[in-house]
Amino acid sequence: MSLLEVKDVTHTYGSARSFLPIRRKETQVLSNVSLTVEQGMCMGLIGTSGAGKSTLGKVILGLEKPKKGQVLFQGEDLYTMTAAARRKMRRDLQVVFQDSYSSVNPRLTAEQIIGEPLDNYEKLSVSEQKRTVAQLLEMVGLHAEDMKKRPGQFSGGQLQRISIARSIALKPKMIVLDESVSSLDMVTQTNILHLLQELKNEYSLSYLFITHDIRAAYFISDAMIVMENGRIVETCYDKNDIFTSEQPKVKELVASILPEHPKDRTITGR
Amino acid sequence: MGHQQNALHVKDLNVAVKTPKGMLPLVQNLHLELKPGKILGLAGESGSGKTVTCMALLQLLNPKTMSVKGSIQLHGRELTDLNQKKMRSVLGRDIGFIMQNPMNAFTPVYTIGNQFVETIRSHTVLTKKQAVDLAITSMEKMNLPEPSKLMKKYPFQLSGGMLQRVMIAISMCLRPSVVIADEPTTALDVTNQLQVLRELDRLRTECGTSILLISHDLGVISELADDVAVMRNGRIIETADVFQLFDHPKQEYTKQLLQARPALLLNDQLKRRVI
Repeated sequence: MSLLEVKDVTHTYGSARSFLPIRRKETQVLSNVSLTVEQGMCMGLIGTSGAGKSTLGKVILGLEKPKKGQVLFQGEDLYTMTAAARRKMRRDLQVVFQDSYSSVNPRLTAEQIIGEPLDNYEKLSVSEQKRTVAQLLEMVGLHAEDMKKRPGQFSGGQLQRISIARSIALKPKMIVLDESVSSLDMVTQTNILHLLQELKNEYSLSYLFITHDIRAAYFISDAMIVMENGRIVETCYDKNDIFTSEQPKVKELVASILPEHPKDRTITGR
Repeated sequence: MGHQQNALHVKDLNVAVKTPKGMLPLVQNLHLELKPGKILGLAGESGSGKTVTCMALLQLLNPKTMSVKGSIQLHGRELTDLNQKKMRSVLGRDIGFIMQNPMNAFTPVYTIGNQFVETIRSHTVLTKKQAVDLAITSMEKMNLPEPSKLMKKYPFQLSGGMLQRVMIAISMCLRPSVVIADEPTTALDVTNQLQVLRELDRLRTECGTSILLISHDLGVISELADDVAVMRNGRIIETADVFQLFDHPKQEYTKQLLQARPALLLNDQLKRRVI
């Protein structure tokens, strides 16, 4: 049994029932998307903006019920499961979003933010919880003293680490990373990628790594999927295959990778 | 000084912010030389003072809370002596500015055309119709599809990449001799990123514009810049030709920065296909 299985998912937006007697135009954002993610594997999901990556992410998280198709997490359908199964699923499936500022409550301290999933699932004593939060903070490269700080006192990279600490607090099986490193500067980005890599090896986590940056995806993923206009246009079980793909969209994406050295630049205006 | 005069010459720029505990320096003894028709990359981590530098150059910092000292010369003309009104006439006409987030750079309540024409007319004596024509031609040059339709659209109706190209079109239509681009591609996806960089390069070759390109992404710098200045903690620690910097970085920090990027471990055959 695969950890996550997406079967023939189709989704449209803009068809919400309106009280006005006008027909609204439907936009198809996902068409017949199927993919599987095994335990301990990182799947890179690549595409330009508007390709449907984030919608697929939401569908997989159980936040957006697709019009057609099924999402099976550990063999159970996300949208038909019982409340008890759903509660268990919530524990095993976590998410880290791109914008760390909007995914935390600015009025809570780091301790409360990271402690929230623990409050919900683990019945820990006050001192135990404090120790767990401190451990989690150390694990993501922050200090136990940072516990009392609020989001406004952290930088974007630090806050992203807090989001990651929160997502691993319950030792989940899978984390959906939706453009989690895209808004960070190069140095912070690499640090976070290394952190994610370590955590993956330690807990045999699975990731769905959604990004438009092939370089970052290549670093962390085992397999890669490329999306365009709501369809999967290329599936590479070996991530190196992406560079030899004949698919025009994949070629375009690969051609837009910026060079590592100025001698490889494609713009030669001078 | 002849034709070798720098397009933009910054000497001993110091920026400090007033805090209850006294002045906190943000940028110290900054020295920059932007040569005509060249692209100078300014690289550094977030928090190193890149954006503060660029705001100081444009004199957009609030003098009540920030102190800016030093000399900023545009083609030999001192900008720090100018009053606010004179500075306003320089901005937009002589110095163009491209911001990081195109979504925040436009007012959502006016159409693109409205904002475009306002910019043009506040710097020139063109009539409204002439301004509209100029706007349409400069959007055409930016490879934007159907510019006359775009003029009637609101900023939120366009994608980020498209809006960024509209912003470049606005900042270029008055042909400023210097453009300051603060992280112009950070908010864009990879394919749009390359397209925007190409447009910036075209400006330089066609209009001879000098560009100060601020970016944390060394990929962007290596794609476009002629010279690079590396910034850290409010100081420039190394300035060199782009090839020199990538091949023989002098400072330890520059080396770290260069190694920080996740490498694509490609063999030569794959590399040839990619590049």
